[in-house]
Amino acid sequence: MFRKPAVGIALAVAFMGAAAQAQQTVTIVNQGGAPAEAQRVAVFEPFSRETGIRVVVDTYNQELARLRSQIETKNLIWDVVSLNPINEAAGCEEGLLEKIDWKSMVDPRPFAAVGGFGECGAPYLISPGVMVYDADRISADRAPKSWTDFWDVAKFPGKRGLLYQPDQMLEVALIADGVLPPDVPKALTAPGGVDRAFRKLAEIKPHVRWWRSGDESMQLIMTGEVEMGYGWQGRVNAANAANKRNLKIVWPAGYVNAIIYLGVMKGTPRKADAIKLIQYNLAANTLARYAEIMGLPPANADTYPLLSESKRADLPGQYLDRGMMQGGQLYINFWLDNGDAIRQRFATFVAQ
Amino acid sequence: MLALMAPSVVFVCFLFALPIVLFLFRAIDNAEIPEALPRTTAAIAEWREGELPPEPVYAALVSDLAALRGTPQLALLARRLNYAIPGFRGVVTRTGRLLPQSMPESPKAALIAIDATWADPAAWGVLRQQSGKVTDFYLLSALDLKRDPSGSVVDVDRDHAIFVDLYGRTLTVSIGVTLLCVAIGYPVAAVMAQATPAAANWLLMAILVPFWTSLLVRSTAWVILLQNEGLVNKTLIWLGAIDAPLALVFNRTGVYIAMVHVLLPYMILPLYSVMKGISPSHLRAAASLGASPVRVFFTVYLPLTMPGVAAGATLVFVSAVGFYVTPALVGGPRDQMIGYFIAYFTNSAVNWGLASALGAFLLVLVAATYLVLGKLVGFERLKVR
Repeated sequence: MFRKPAVGIALAVAFMGAAAQAQQTVTIVNQGGAPAEAQRVAVFEPFSRETGIRVVVDTYNQELARLRSQIETKNLIWDVVSLNPINEAAGCEEGLLEKIDWKSMVDPRPFAAVGGFGECGAPYLISPGVMVYDADRISADRAPKSWTDFWDVAKFPGKRGLLYQPDQMLEVALIADGVLPPDVPKALTAPGGVDRAFRKLAEIKPHVRWWRSGDESMQLIMTGEVEMGYGWQGRVNAANAANKRNLKIVWPAGYVNAIIYLGVMKGTPRKADAIKLIQYNLAANTLARYAEIMGLPPANADTYPLLSESKRADLPGQYLDRGMMQGGQLYINFWLDNGDAIRQRFATFVAQ
Repeated sequence: MLALMAPSVVFVCFLFALPIVLFLFRAIDNAEIPEALPRTTAAIAEWREGELPPEPVYAALVSDLAALRGTPQLALLARRLNYAIPGFRGVVTRTGRLLPQSMPESPKAALIAIDATWADPAAWGVLRQQSGKVTDFYLLSALDLKRDPSGSVVDVDRDHAIFVDLYGRTLTVSIGVTLLCVAIGYPVAAVMAQATPAAANWLLMAILVPFWTSLLVRSTAWVILLQNEGLVNKTLIWLGAIDAPLALVFNRTGVYIAMVHVLLPYMILPLYSVMKGISPSHLRAAASLGASPVRVFFTVYLPLTMPGVAAGATLVFVSAVGFYVTPALVGGPRDQMIGYFIAYFTNSAVNWGLASALGAFLLVLVAATYLVLGKLVGFERLKVR
């Protein structure tokens, strides 16, 4: 009488254990939207099929506060976090991310062009911020060719769309002021660099419609509210695909590359699975699948030979020297040191 | 009686009053610096302004930083000090990294060799100002003020002055929205109060149905209606009333339109309930004594409805002051109110001290308006009969 239930319970526990084993999950958080959907199809679904580890996706807006509150309350919801370069450095220093020696697990050579691995995060994607216009409204011979043209409202009348955020906009202003894109970090961090960028932005400020979300940036261009604007390449691709539009990117004018990292949440019990997922995401063939959907440049250089001709044509392949990398010790430390003060100055600047 | 009240009292105390008090305390709380630098904050109290601190202060800093080396606390301390002196984050993390393993012969020379900032008496002055268990730093920052190295309160430079303008803007928009709600809501409530019960029910429905829709949905709907190629502009162009689309959204106009729409029921409902309670015989009596309709309105009806106006205006104003989602969706960068920045400092910048200080002044602003309004209308009138 006593034995049977005991055996039953033991069996049930064993089965539950097995079920739990089969139902391992890893939770990743990213910024949502079309890029997240592409990541789900190109990365997470095949990963789950191959490893049996389920991937749960959540979204956030790069708020480090939400990592901190999970760690401080010891109630971890996320395991893998998608991060911009500044947050990767800050989160690592402040103990929100696990320090991981990626070099010992992944060949670092194809990642050298984007600045290699961080102390905590591994780069998987580049998100270029570019100049874009609607080719159905502006014919090629009347189209802007450089940021100098963008600033020239006499020659190219109309409103301009720019991002309501100093990081990326100060960099663009310096390119418009004649700095070569690769030299932007040096020019920005040099004494007087920030003042120079603000002076340049002040020239165009009366003609700017500031946008705050990627959707808004494309909306402004598609409705003709602005003549040309700053936008993220992923959003341009998505707008062209979904709305059958003919938005054109002016690559040779110069652009800003935000490198997107993946990091592991500090203290997660699923660290091994989290690392497994990130390694899978960094692999060239995974990133190739992703690039085929999203058309964003992969951080892993080995991916390029695997891409189809048409996708490679979408990428800024021949204009790599026109891109400014948001990375490097000098640049990251500059933003960590001065970011708060600059953001405050920017908010004041825009409101005046 | 007490037993019946208990659940709500406990609920309000623990889930409303206590968190607010705790969060407001963050506006002056400065424990993280004395906790991270116990020896330095003790040693620096001895130091007098004007010259560099003596060796023992440097030695205290070396041993404090050595204890923090390699821990996240060093980064948190660096971030906290960076609020007071932009660039100090780098100085602290660099110093922590390059610190000699054992106590150097001259800690002063060693620290200055790592970073020249340690040879700047002004930096030490700020460090001492920040060494107490409580600080007025956040409260001053929220008013665009700071302490200079000698300790007197001065304005921050104009490039960084933002919050006083923001409070002004928040107040202007909230007062504007309240006045518009009174102007639009008063006639509607008066018509409802005079209408037959069936008609009044229909009007009430018309007011309540949008009330059931999510704030987010209503705000987004206004964007769709008001944008350049939206329904309103297209109709006006089709009618020939305008040639080029009007700028109705992503500016102050859009904020007023959307906020008035969202808050109008808060104005109409209290007004309606007060107007419903006014006996028509008062008005008839005034008219029969020879008062003109205008005089009846201004001497009898309006004073009797003032409690409703005051209640509605208070509700609308207090809600408007804290608005955040609607201006964020339908306003431009020049139309953001203080709520936007409180959210920004809470979530993105993780500067909870400043967020609390901004919230504290917002609370003061609301309380002050309430008192002024009370004085103008008379508090006893706020009681609905």
